[in-house]
Amino acid sequence: MADTTFRLRVRYGKTGRLRFLSHLEVVHGLERAARRAGLPYAVTKGFSPHMKISFGPALPVGTAGLGEYLDVWLRSYVASEDALALLVGASADGLAPEAVRYVPDREASLGAILTIAKYDVVLEGGPALPEGLRSSFAAIIAEGVLAVEHKGKQKIFELASTLPKEPVVSTDGGRTTVGLTVRIGERGSLRPEALVTAALTREALDGRIASVTRTELLVEEDGSWRAPL
Amino acid sequence: MSDLWSRVEPLLAGVERPTRYINSEWGARHGDADYRVALVYPDAYEIGMANQALQILYDRFGAIDGVAAERVFVPWTDMADAMRAAAVPLYTLESCTPVSACDLVGITLPYELTYQNILEVLDLAGIPLRAADRAENDPLVIGGGPCAFNPEPMAPFFDAILVGDGEDAAAEIVSAHRLAIASGLSRAETLAALARVPGVYVPALYEPQYEDGVFVGVTASADAPAVVRKRVLADLDTYRSPICTVVPFMDVVHDRAGVEVLRGCARGCRFCQAGMVYRPVRERSADSIVRDATAALQCTGYDEVSLTSLSTADHSQLEDVLRRLSRRLEGTGVTVSLPSLRVDAFNVQVARLLGGGKKTGLTFAPEAGTQRLRNVINKNVTEEDLLRTVTQAFSAGWRRVKLYFMIGLPTETDEDITGIGELVGRVFRAAREVTPPGERGGMRVAVSVSTFVPKAHTPFQWEAQIPLEEVRRRQALLRASMPGKGVDLSYHDSDVSFLEGVLSRGGREVADVIEAAWRGGARFDAWTEEFKPQRWAAAFEETGIDPTTIANRVRRVDETLPWDHISVGVTRAYLRIERDNALAAQTTVDCTFDGCTGCGVCGSSLVANILAGERRG
Ligand code: SF4
Repeated sequence: MADTTFRLRVRYGKTGRLRFLSHLEVVHGLERAARRAGLPYAVTKGFSPHMKISFGPALPVGTAGLGEYLDVWLRSYVASEDALALLVGASADGLAPEAVRYVPDREASLGAILTIAKYDVVLEGGPALPEGLRSSFAAIIAEGVLAVEHKGKQKIFELASTLPKEPVVSTDGGRTTVGLTVRIGERGSLRPEALVTAALTREALDGRIASVTRTELLVEEDGSWRAPL
Repeated sequence: MSDLWSRVEPLLAGVERPTRYINSEWGARHGDADYRVALVYPDAYEIGMANQALQILYDRFGAIDGVAAERVFVPWTDMADAMRAAAVPLYTLESCTPVSACDLVGITLPYELTYQNILEVLDLAGIPLRAADRAENDPLVIGGGPCAFNPEPMAPFFDAILVGDGEDAAAEIVSAHRLAIASGLSRAETLAALARVPGVYVPALYEPQYEDGVFVGVTASADAPAVVRKRVLADLDTYRSPICTVVPFMDVVHDRAGVEVLRGCARGCRFCQAGMVYRPVRERSADSIVRDATAALQCTGYDEVSLTSLSTADHSQLEDVLRRLSRRLEGTGVTVSLPSLRVDAFNVQVARLLGGGKKTGLTFAPEAGTQRLRNVINKNVTEEDLLRTVTQAFSAGWRRVKLYFMIGLPTETDEDITGIGELVGRVFRAAREVTPPGERGGMRVAVSVSTFVPKAHTPFQWEAQIPLEEVRRRQALLRASMPGKGVDLSYHDSDVSFLEGVLSRGGREVADVIEAAWRGGARFDAWTEEFKPQRWAAAFEETGIDPTTIANRVRRVDETLPWDHISVGVTRAYLRIERDNALAAQTTVDCTFDGCTGCGVCGSSLVANILAGERRG
């Protein structure tokens, strides 16, 4: 009985100036917010006890996130609206919880279930950029694989599985937005900048990435997608 | 006030660790103000954010009506280059206001190797480096902190320097400045007004005098006191320890809440500047420590609170405090830590109460390898104490211990050096004896050896630092005497110690060297990978100053010293007696355990040791 815990799923945003945080900084920041909130968090057993909390897939420095997730285990039940209010009151602007819900403890970890990520990549560039990107993406997808160099290592992505949807290019004034849907594989995920940069380089397009935002993380189950919360 | 954020933001994609530059932390304060103070810590964000004095001043300045206190750290070299290229001046984190548009720029002097960073800050801010070159509308640049006790090497760069505790002086300085602004005083008149605030040293009002090229003292102008006495906060409990501090996202050093449990140390180690300049001893009461530690944890969300001071284990109610805190924190995964434990104060009881202690290991500082030399430096620790403590700790399950030693102490012989190796060997064997055979492989004794640097206002202020070649010889001797297995030996960089020696006992002429070194590219010299001794060698060459005459020269005890016009309350006569005692290997007791030893602090500042309970030796 004493070991019963309640698994609270929290959706939060990483926006504004705080998009410059690293994943570790996000983790520390949110753990501290949970402590400030006074939530009755559970503590792991063992040599160096710490808060029982787990996070979804990491976001790199500079990339914003509109719907990111963590699970925190509580020792006692707190009504979700109260838990949310406590968390919001203890969080910095820009790294703020937006919704919470209890989920069954037997559910697999966030890292395992969140396999679909949607991104908006905003670019600045010349008038030919949108069309150029469209044809460049089409050509890349037609090749079926993409080789990406990152930190001196080469990774090969099978695009049929990595890109469950085709990139969508839209424009608004001088800005071009590429909407990407990426499947996060077991051996890492394709960084949206890498794909967009490959498209720019391929046709020597006049364009520059201005910002990257992960807009959604989804669970893929029996061929359909759903929000984790 | 102009907000520079829109010009800062585009630079951040191209620099490492942009978290340093974005503000937005929990606890950062924003507000309207008619008087803005830039609080500068002259090192990178992750070092400065760990500084408790900065948090205290953030609180004290912020508490003054109409005043905003905002943080400034030194941009890392990549960011500094990007800012210069884009002509973005240095800004305060909270409101992104140009530092040059603040009313007061308060700069901490934490350790000598940050001096060039202070010039970097002024330059990035667009403030003239030298006080003499500043115009009427430039901010007041005021220093303070541990290196203010010999302010001379940095004196030309400051309008004023506060000597001693800043809690009360902060408000006095602001009100003197506000009054000066309201009365339309000129910059020179404002400085004269500041010189009347107790503890404030205005370098422009003190002219160094030389006879035949030899320094013979300073002459103070009529407006200024002949001797500037350090400020002393009589009772630490006058102010609460900072509770709702700024909580960094970035992994900073000492990433935890802190409560200063006492200030000052009267153990009387003769090499230790802090022990001389921060007297008397002032303990916070157990109740306020427990209250403030609990409140700080709640407000910040940290998972660790550190009970800080020069010698926390001396606090007369430490065990009581630890017991109460650990009861409150049970089951939360939150721990209490102490910065270090002294050999003679260690007991397994205290260590157990600290829970987390086993993984971090224990640190002890015997400082010297023989009893004779420990008597010389007044480190009242015997080999028996050390061995007993280590035996206790390893019996109780500890497997790692770190020992600190110094080489180059006054009167040191080769025997004292090989004595370090022998002592370490005995420590290792004592530890091994009480460690079960199966666990002996995990035993570790780390030995960290630094070079002694004589400091101002200590009984060793007249001594010579040993020359670099001699340091190398003694290091080699030490290495040869060290038992190999299970012992990790590390040295403090001897070039760094040499420079520290020059910067800490130099006079005003050293300012030219500091400026030349900064112009030659010296920045972040406290970072091993950034420190380039050649830059300093070139600066000495360029300015014609021979650093060995500062670091490696024995001074006559009646010689005028560059810091003689700064008083820390401990009398020169006392330092001389202590020096004689040192040379005779005579020890001196701690006045918080035994009687007053007559150092002079209490009488001169009308203060006294404040103990929360009785100290047990
Ligand atoms: S004056 Fe006496 S009691 Fe006061 S700090 Fe000095 S030695 Fe201790």
